[in-house]
Amino acid sequence: MAHTTIITAPEKVTPVIKKEQYFSLSFVLSRVLNSGVIMSIEKNESELKGLEKSIGKLTQSKYVSLFNSYTGAVHAALWGQDIVHGSLTRLEEASEQDQRFASWLGIGLVTDSDVQQGFDKVTVTWDSLPRIEQELQPKLHKSPVLVLDFTELGFGPCASISVNDESIWTKAERLKIFGAFDLKTMWTQEEAEPDIQPGAQFNYRLSPLVAACVKLSLLRRNSGYEN
Amino acid sequence: MKTDFIRKPLSLPSEAWINEQLAYYGGPAVIPEDSRKTTFPSITKEDIVQMLVSIQQSPEEVIHEFTEKYRSYVGANYAIATASGTSSLHLALVGVGVQPGDEVIVPAFTFIATAQAVVAAKAIPVFVDIDPLTYNLNPALVEQAITARTKVIMPVHVHGLPADLAQLRALADKHKLRLVEDASHAHSASIGGQLCGSIGDGAGQSLMADKNFPVGGEGGIAFFKERENYERALSFLQETGIDYRMSWIAAAFGISQLDRLPYYDAIRARNASYLTNILAQTKLFKGPHVPEGHKHSYNMYRIKLDLEAAGLGDLPDYQVKEAIQELASSEGVFAREWQNVPIPGHLPFQNRKGFGRGYPFTLSERKDFGYHIDRFPATLSMLRSTLTICRELRSPIEYERIAAYALAFQKIDANPAIIRELVLQNTAAKKSYERDARLG
Repeated sequence: MAHTTIITAPEKVTPVIKKEQYFSLSFVLSRVLNSGVIMSIEKNESELKGLEKSIGKLTQSKYVSLFNSYTGAVHAALWGQDIVHGSLTRLEEASEQDQRFASWLGIGLVTDSDVQQGFDKVTVTWDSLPRIEQELQPKLHKSPVLVLDFTELGFGPCASISVNDESIWTKAERLKIFGAFDLKTMWTQEEAEPDIQPGAQFNYRLSPLVAACVKLSLLRRNSGYEN
Repeated sequence: MKTDFIRKPLSLPSEAWINEQLAYYGGPAVIPEDSRKTTFPSITKEDIVQMLVSIQQSPEEVIHEFTEKYRSYVGANYAIATASGTSSLHLALVGVGVQPGDEVIVPAFTFIATAQAVVAAKAIPVFVDIDPLTYNLNPALVEQAITARTKVIMPVHVHGLPADLAQLRALADKHKLRLVEDASHAHSASIGGQLCGSIGDGAGQSLMADKNFPVGGEGGIAFFKERENYERALSFLQETGIDYRMSWIAAAFGISQLDRLPYYDAIRARNASYLTNILAQTKLFKGPHVPEGHKHSYNMYRIKLDLEAAGLGDLPDYQVKEAIQELASSEGVFAREWQNVPIPGHLPFQNRKGFGRGYPFTLSERKDFGYHIDRFPATLSMLRSTLTICRELRSPIEYERIAAYALAFQKIDANPAIIRELVLQNTAAKKSYERDARLG
């Protein structure tokens, strides 16, 4: 009898990687493994920062925060704007998953166009990667937060938020156990931002290994198939 | 290509080093500055080959293979691989039936994720002080904390020493509560041969790279005894849409690393035993207490300072600790604080913002949540008078390195007058819990 079941996010069944993508995937992985990226937290923090920088350039935004899942990024997008338990927000094209997750957070979804949209989102796939700039163009600066979902690249759940408002980014980081401000406190033992204090925190920390793979995929998006 | 290979071998330690001048005052450090690095996890060809195999499978297959392999190793009935230890604890709590507003008893000394997982389950963490000998949740104090709202007792196997699950199980049964293990430090740790993670009704465990059993970066796993609880956890994921999936890359590493876990465990146990025996010969230092039948996994190694025995009993313990920390660091041993404030004293529990607008704390009828740190005197005392070796012992380090660590403590033990002098010079030292809380 099987004792385990794979967690499959509702409505977002991970696509089986297509055979023609094997090479891209293995090329990225072998490059990353040879770079010595394995550890987490401080040792490979530069991998996370590198990915943040790449996304910042693509989305033309000042601040980027990374997450180990799409729902983690959604949570941060809302929390960063003080859309919290008991709040209402509007989401265009809210998927079944968005609706369930918002409901779990205690956030009501409305269709009233007077309510500012909670966030915009773009899903990045191997097919859309070479034309990501065009995909992003209509979404840029439409709402204060842009969520990018990299999960379908196949390295594992991975998403980000891009913002220009520093306070949104700060609050989003404080939602994460071992986010930027927790790490600062860890070394200095002085609260980095005493005015923005954390509430419930989740380990939404992205693995540097996955981050390095996504970063390399973004950097080489116009290289076609390597040979 | 970057390498983690340590190119500079350590010298074989000599007991004569104990009588050298302390490195803090210019003498030779027991471990020279360019030889202090330890590496973990060790990546071998098995990891790379496993990755090449896994890349040709679907992510679901890789994660399933890992989950089943590790579940079987631990001896748990059901398992769900997750993105992190925190998410595994959240799932374990939901799986055993925690509902919004329920109370969950946790130790005041742990990593913050233990208590944040309780809040994630929309429940209220109720903190209980630790046993001063084992540093684990004190069963003698748990019963006083049980109320009509209590649903779960969640002990943590701190540093890898199994908590007193026999007594906690008796309490849980008596009050019809569930027992959930936080086994994040306790890979391969056991009680009477039964592995941590398989003993409670549920368990959560971190598998991040800093742990004894590391997957590739971040990861966790939730275990369940009963099918009903396991299925409730799966339903919860469906109902909420939360994506707690582990990356298949992490799982692939887990598959190959698991084969080497018994080797890592054996080296750690050997090293810890060596260090404990040497420390027992000093006046100032004592290694961890391990109750009969408990197998410690030594994710961390906490050293107790015995000021009375060393003739330093008239000095404030936290100042002596700070002086020793400086001396040890100069010798090349990074013995440090791991946690400096009891968890209820951390901002998320002092402020109780929760998911926003105070939820789920607003579900409680409590006026006093019991989060004042003065309620945890054993934890405070431990924070004042102990130091921890973390990753330096976690790696499967060589004999000469563990012998050098031991010699460094012997060298410091031989110099109580200098410790006294340092304490008298540095009267500005604060108790650790009077500083801002740090996570690790």
